[in-house]
Amino acid sequence: MQELVLIQPGSTIRSESSRDTAQADARHDFEARLVECGPLAYRVARGVLRNSADAEDVAQEALLRAYRSFHRLRDRNRFRGWLVRISFRIALDRLRSAKRRELRDLEWSQPAHQPRPANAEDIAASNEFQAHLDRALEELPEKLRLVLLLAAMEGHTIDEIAALLAIPVGTAKSRIFVARKQLAEKLRCHVNPTKTR
Amino acid sequence: MPCEPYKNALVEAAATGAEPLGELRAHLAACPACRAALAQEQSLFSSIDTGLSAAVNAEIPASLLPRVRARIAEEPAVTRGWIPGWLAMAGAAAIIIAFLAAQAAWRNVAPRKPAEMATQPASPVQVPLPPVRSPESAPTSRHDSATQPQVSVVRNSVPRQTRTTRNPEPQVLVPRDQEVLLARYAEQWRSRKRLPLMAETSSDTPMAPLQIAPIQIAQLDVKLMTEEQGQ
Repeated sequence: MQELVLIQPGSTIRSESSRDTAQADARHDFEARLVECGPLAYRVARGVLRNSADAEDVAQEALLRAYRSFHRLRDRNRFRGWLVRISFRIALDRLRSAKRRELRDLEWSQPAHQPRPANAEDIAASNEFQAHLDRALEELPEKLRLVLLLAAMEGHTIDEIAALLAIPVGTAKSRIFVARKQLAEKLRCHVNPTKTR
Repeated sequence: MPCEPYKNALVEAAATGAEPLGELRAHLAACPACRAALAQEQSLFSSIDTGLSAAVNAEIPASLLPRVRARIAEEPAVTRGWIPGWLAMAGAAAIIIAFLAAQAAWRNVAPRKPAEMATQPASPVQVPLPPVRSPESAPTSRHDSATQPQVSVVRNSVPRQTRTTRNPEPQVLVPRDQEVLLARYAEQWRSRKRLPLMAETSSDTPMAPLQIAPIQIAQLDVKLMTEEQGQ
């Protein structure tokens, strides 16, 4: 059955052309932000996952999701913070599922659990302290972890981090301090056990 | 081994990276153990920062942005709908519920369908029609009613009283082969679809060309009135 629609030809043409223009503007706008913020998404994912290939996948997914929902973002100035949260969330999900998979593989392949083949990055990260640091970082609460990763990125001041996460500067400072302290407590015994007099 | 009262102060000084001030500074000047502990703490935080920085500030793969652009190009155009998704869903749900409710209400009040009446047991009554002459039989005889086609009139067996009270629709005499068609048409009206009438070819009743019998005019028998009166 043929569906009939009541239209006003003049107004329809005008609204379609304005919609096309809006779409082109949105795509152009996103393209400009992609160049600026793509590395940020990758770095957040890399900080969580510690693996370049996984981080690239996650950054790609985060940017794609951001593109799909770009029209819903009312304040475009918040794009960076929004993208950071998307990327962080996807990276955490990926990390959790990878851990579950690793645990499952470990259970199935006992007692001969073979480590995966190492590349240059893995070799660099294979020292004992780095492994302990990774573990300690994963045990941090998410809020502390994200703020610590952003603080470790080059070119991010505390003011920028606070603006990015839409939190007060004092809160950002406090979170960084607490996060570093918690990491140090977990890692101190692995570096140099401190004894008190 | 740092002194216990200064332990937390040492850790905080190392964590913030700030220069020790006041009492702590004076103590550090006098206590080599606490100086060593502070150096260890500073080394620990420095290692943490280096490890974090190495992980986070890795080189961006050159393939990242081209891959994202390729994925975006595959995506359909993102449009902001003039109706939010949840509103469209709610509207569709409301329409479906209203339709179902109306259908249920209509079933409750709908009278009997004519198709049901047509399928009820009937007692056919054979009513001979006036002879229809074919071109071949026209000149031969006027009393060949036995060979003429007959139309059966179906009288509904539903009692007259019931019909008048429960089914106020008029009854129509139709040929048997059109009974089903009429029932369908009545059903359409009953359901108020107002569908147009459609011609339907029936395979079991082949169409024959229209044949008109020649007009027969009898001879006028003119008699005089006097002869008529005499007879």
